[in-house]
Amino acid sequence: MLQFLLDVLIRTSDLLLVSVGLSTLYSLIRFPNVAHVQYAMLGAFLSLAGQRAGLPLGLAAALSCVLVGCLAVLLNIFVFMRLLRSGSAVAMIGSLAVSLIAVALVLSTAGSRPLQYTQDISAPLTLDGVAVSSAQAGSIACGALTLLIFSVLLYRTNLGRSMRALASNRALALASGIDANRVTNLITFASGVLAALGGTMLGLTESVHVNLGNNLLIPVFSAAILGGLGNPLGAAAGALLIALAETLVINVDFGSLVGRSMQFFPVAYVSAVSFLILLVTLMVRPYGIFDREVRRV
Amino acid sequence: MKLRRWGIEAFVTLCFGLSHLPDAHADVSVGAVLPLTGSSASIGEDQRRGIELAVAKINAQGGVLGQKLQVRIEDSGGGANTALDAARKLATVDHVPVVLGEFSSSITIPVGQFLVRQGDVHVNIGSSSQQIRKIGPGSFSVIGLDNLSARFAAQDVFDRKLRRVAFIAPNNGYGQGIADEFKKRFEALGGTVAALVLYTEGQSTYRRELEQMARANPDAYVYSAYGQEAATINRQAYDMQLNRSPWYGIYLTMCTSDTPPQIARGQIGLEVASGGAGAKAYEEAYEAAYKEAPRSAFGSYAYDATMLSAAAINYAHSTDPAKIRLAFDALGEKYAGVTGTISFDSDGQRIAQPYEKVSFKQTVAAQ
Repeated sequence: MLQFLLDVLIRTSDLLLVSVGLSTLYSLIRFPNVAHVQYAMLGAFLSLAGQRAGLPLGLAAALSCVLVGCLAVLLNIFVFMRLLRSGSAVAMIGSLAVSLIAVALVLSTAGSRPLQYTQDISAPLTLDGVAVSSAQAGSIACGALTLLIFSVLLYRTNLGRSMRALASNRALALASGIDANRVTNLITFASGVLAALGGTMLGLTESVHVNLGNNLLIPVFSAAILGGLGNPLGAAAGALLIALAETLVINVDFGSLVGRSMQFFPVAYVSAVSFLILLVTLMVRPYGIFDREVRRV
Repeated sequence: MKLRRWGIEAFVTLCFGLSHLPDAHADVSVGAVLPLTGSSASIGEDQRRGIELAVAKINAQGGVLGQKLQVRIEDSGGGANTALDAARKLATVDHVPVVLGEFSSSITIPVGQFLVRQGDVHVNIGSSSQQIRKIGPGSFSVIGLDNLSARFAAQDVFDRKLRRVAFIAPNNGYGQGIADEFKKRFEALGGTVAALVLYTEGQSTYRRELEQMARANPDAYVYSAYGQEAATINRQAYDMQLNRSPWYGIYLTMCTSDTPPQIARGQIGLEVASGGAGAKAYEEAYEAAYKEAPRSAFGSYAYDATMLSAAAINYAHSTDPAKIRLAFDALGEKYAGVTGTISFDSDGQRIAQPYEKVSFKQTVAAQ
């Protein structure tokens, strides 16, 4: 049971930061930004580049977060806001193009091989017989801490109030004197930082790979939609639910049904679980399971 | 006007004539498609070195048909599409009669099929899927296929008193072939393959595959994976403390080529042996050229394939692929290579393949 809970927490931390950033951004800029998952991939590669240039990993990750945050703001100002004038579908297709360009750039410069950060190989920690690596424990702690800080930012600061006001009723918020551009840029920057941090953490627990962003696309969007796009804490809950469903599916032994001692759902097809959850959510509760909360805000 | 027209015609004729003049110093070229980038890049580099050493030796001994041998090496990028483009370029632009390659069976098969359709000779230097046998006439393997390696692995694992194993291999032609063959052989001996997982290539994590294998509570983990994917599998298995049970690698150098020694230490497995006549000389030449011991046995197979190709061209007295193919058949009755005696069966596949039991200490070493 502890192993199962730990697996759920590890998977949640994989998805958490990227889906929270995606959902937050959506509350202000109303289109599904496909390129957001590539910010995570770029963040992982920039952290790796920083470390290989001689920086300690913490500093390299911080620098990577700032750079990806700035990139997110620049792309938003010069690409997505312009495309959004023609409609959210056009902006989404534009973000897909940006996503493909990002993958091509990394593929041509860093290649297709999975890369690793230089880190000491230490014996994993053992909790009641269940092993967890220090990188995984760090990733879970980092995810939880960042979510806490982000929640404080959203619910206890003027920036957070302004953001929620803009998300809830843009016209009224503008009339009350909120600087929409400043708030949008700051939130875009924060979402880029979250994605880069999430990507760097994934690189630590898994590997730095050009497919890192693509592999996140479906589960992260499923988590954000499940929690109600535009609801950051809903996205965190969505990530937990997706992780729970995925972990449950791959751990159910249905060997007795097929006459074998053991038979598990093939991991290669586990993304179908995210697709299924996404489909059912869109059909039953298109605004997510926390819809009422979103509208209240 | 007439003069101008005459001038143009003369110029065109001259250019055409020059481009078709036989070059007294033209090199004899063969081609190779190798994974110089991608998840098997470490092995690809070793194959390239094997070819380079063979070319140096052949040219030092007078070359091929009295001319220098040149091997045109193309990168497959670890993908079938890029590999096919490379093979197409070698066959139709460079007009090489023989192409060596690749490493991954799922890439070697389409490359071999294309070359056979072109009427060229294909030499498999690193793949072992049973499907290789079906490529067709004109395709030869200097390395034994999975029926041989799986039989050796199953017997070796069983002899080590490991009765219940979990198995993981890539979900491609190679992985499916070796998984089926190993399961069949191991269960025929009385063992049990309690979990059989085929992983998707190119993922950044294999933790969940490993979790499913661990649920089977096996005596040992048997695996075969490409260098950099194996590095991820090994590191995550280490993090999950699955390395407390024995890990058996089929082609252990491939499995551990990109894994830190601290993590790979203690793994056991099989490796293709390179213990033929001249193996020691090959190792010495390798160390002299690259200042390190051979990274894997696969370089020696590329070496043998290059030497055999040169011998076949000399035997055929021609660079005509049809004649070279017949020469391969003739020489492949008993060719003494650094990887042992190479004999082909009626499908052009190596009949006997020497393997050795190995373990990872600081590197892969014979037990």
